[in-house]
Amino acid sequence: MSTDRKTSLTDKQTKNGTSKYVLERCASINEYYDIAFKVMLLGDSAVGKTCILVRFKDGAFLGGNFIATVGIDFRNKVVDVDNLKVKLQIWDTAGQERFRSVTHAYYRDAQALLLLYDITSKLSFDNIRAWLTEIHEYAQKDVVIMLLGNKSDMAAERVVKTEEGEKLAKEYGVPFMETSAKTGVNVELAFLAIAKELKHRVTQQPNEPKFQIHDYIESQKHKSGCCSLV
Amino acid sequence: MKLLTFGPIALCLYVCPLRCVSLPSVAVMDGEAQRAAVSWENGTLAPVDRLRSERADSPTPGLVEGTEPGAGQKSAMFVHAQSFEDLTAETEEVAQRDAELDKSEGECTDELKVLVGEKTIEEQRNSISSETRSKEEDVSSEAWRSHRKHVFVLSEAGKPIYTRYGTEEALSSTMGVMMALVSFVEAEKNIIRSIHADGCKVVFLTKSPLVLVGVSRTCQSDKELLRELQYIYYQIVSLLTLTQLNHIFQHKQNYDLRRLLAGSEYLTDNLLHRLDRDPGLLLSAVTCLPLASSSRDVVSSSLQAAKAKNLVFSILLAGDRLVTLVRKKDQFLHHIDLHLVFNLVGSSSSFREGEGWTPICLPKFNTAGFFHAHISYLEPASELCLILVSTDREDFFNMSDCKQRFLERLSKRSAYQALKEALKCPSYSVAQVGIPELRHFLYKSKSSGLYTSPEFPAVYQSDEEQERLMGLYQDLHSCLHHPTRPLRSFYRCGETENLLAWVTSGFELYLCFSPLATKALAVSAVNKLLKWIRKEEDRLFILSPLTY
Repeated sequence: MSTDRKTSLTDKQTKNGTSKYVLERCASINEYYDIAFKVMLLGDSAVGKTCILVRFKDGAFLGGNFIATVGIDFRNKVVDVDNLKVKLQIWDTAGQERFRSVTHAYYRDAQALLLLYDITSKLSFDNIRAWLTEIHEYAQKDVVIMLLGNKSDMAAERVVKTEEGEKLAKEYGVPFMETSAKTGVNVELAFLAIAKELKHRVTQQPNEPKFQIHDYIESQKHKSGCCSLV
Repeated sequence: MKLLTFGPIALCLYVCPLRCVSLPSVAVMDGEAQRAAVSWENGTLAPVDRLRSERADSPTPGLVEGTEPGAGQKSAMFVHAQSFEDLTAETEEVAQRDAELDKSEGECTDELKVLVGEKTIEEQRNSISSETRSKEEDVSSEAWRSHRKHVFVLSEAGKPIYTRYGTEEALSSTMGVMMALVSFVEAEKNIIRSIHADGCKVVFLTKSPLVLVGVSRTCQSDKELLRELQYIYYQIVSLLTLTQLNHIFQHKQNYDLRRLLAGSEYLTDNLLHRLDRDPGLLLSAVTCLPLASSSRDVVSSSLQAAKAKNLVFSILLAGDRLVTLVRKKDQFLHHIDLHLVFNLVGSSSSFREGEGWTPICLPKFNTAGFFHAHISYLEPASELCLILVSTDREDFFNMSDCKQRFLERLSKRSAYQALKEALKCPSYSVAQVGIPELRHFLYKSKSSGLYTSPEFPAVYQSDEEQERLMGLYQDLHSCLHHPTRPLRSFYRCGETENLLAWVTSGFELYLCFSPLATKALAVSAVNKLLKWIRKEEDRLFILSPLTY
């Protein structure tokens, strides 16, 4: 008898397309994926690594007090790349020095690294070179690196010019953009570009042209730049 | 006693443990209660490992350690013996140290003696909100000076590492003076313990390569202040390990340790706050989430089943309450280490989402190395936090897998629902005991290292009142555990409440009665309460701790 009731309930839900059904479907979509990649967030303490992640994952901004990440924080997000479900396993690391040894242990598993600095902190920008040295020491040779200048909404307190970031990125041959976890500018793009690049690496056919992450970012970045002006 | 005169301040080195007594009420030793306690002591020694069915329905005169209500059946989860470090701590009274050394590890049950402490009420008035502001406070202001209790940590080179109020930079000269005092006395082949001056106590704890200084206007004894400093010391060791600390300072004597401790100040701030408020830190015990033993057993066995090679401890918390703890065979967790874990989890919302992975040194287990803890909440909005402690730095995915297996197993069982239900009422009312005059109590089972306590009744609803009551308990605790004149029992009549404290080899009990209660009533209430706890022990305590 109970089975009957259940069936009828399910029918009703399917017909009406109730919210419960939709939720269930979403949950199962979150579980399902075609390929998975490990992405790591790096940078000095308080540059906004956790905030970028929360903006990307939940579309929210962690305002108010600074909460230092303890050790490493691990979260998943599945994104759509050219009709393929790509699961990003994201390691959010603590910026503090005492956690370096733990983060080192997880560098070599990472396929992509998002390296952040804070445009209002010269020190965090100056430390980027040290971070890159560390990355070359511990990470995989072919790891995808992206440099992000975060807190771009704080124009009044800016001490690192966009050009300085671009110059440094060019020197190391890594893509670069300025982001804001607060307004959401370029956050989605940063993760999606990474996901696209990684996906293309895996699924690329011999005769297919190579995915150009730099070009993709440039085209998308300008678009979002226009939108943010409106 | 050696006395140095230093301007208007008298420096008393090696001060006798004289307590500054400023009790608002008359303290009376209760002869009757003491006799009763002695008679309890003389009962037969029952075997420690007894089956649940064999357990007496009511407490008998032979209630000794291992048979008191709340005593675990198999073996305790915590280390009860003192570690070598405790025994050799330079801060301990020599006589006591000798007495302790005589006891074998297994017999040495009274770890409280090491960490005796009490807090006073006034100190705790600094609310969290004022603490967050206090960092920017002007250190030359009267407000800064008038804080009830200051805590400073510095390196042996005199470099500031931590201050509870104000900024370290602003205090570098003050800390320089502190180091000068330490070195001055050390040059005479002596150790500075404390300075007593003008209603203010300055207590020093030298734990090379760190020096910890407490400045207190409370009436806590030196010993109690030292116990708190020791906690702060362990907190720092838990972040870095002693090996790393030593290495750093051997390498570079004037290293600025704040660089490595950056972002951890809130842990020390919170620990100091806990030391003022949490009965667990006072009793050297932890409290459990009340839960039917059948449900708890299912949770424990699900956790036991989710094991891995390098997994040492699995701890399930509900807020500040222990749901269950499963440990590797022969490995014990010290209550100090567990309190440090509680502090880490409770102080940061960083673990709320996702899965956390962090190195943690458990200093009472091993000061030399890090464990790695996988910390996650079972459900996003849930209070249930699972901590899996592994020995391997690269064990994240194994631990993550353990958590998944535990969750899958548990969610199939009805015990998970029962556990969620239990979370809705994490405490109980004292009215359940059925003693009208009884307002509140703390009961610690010594052999299990667990304590139970009801929620605060209506008369102690405000923060001030709760802290005042905690202060009274702390005062009783320090009387019972006085280093030279310990008491078995203590009855105290006050204007607002009457208190009875009682310690036996099996338990420690603190009761708070309405001021209309009598001494005779209080003594008879003990029996009634113990019967009630015996009846409820299945729910209030973890009686059958598991190992992998």
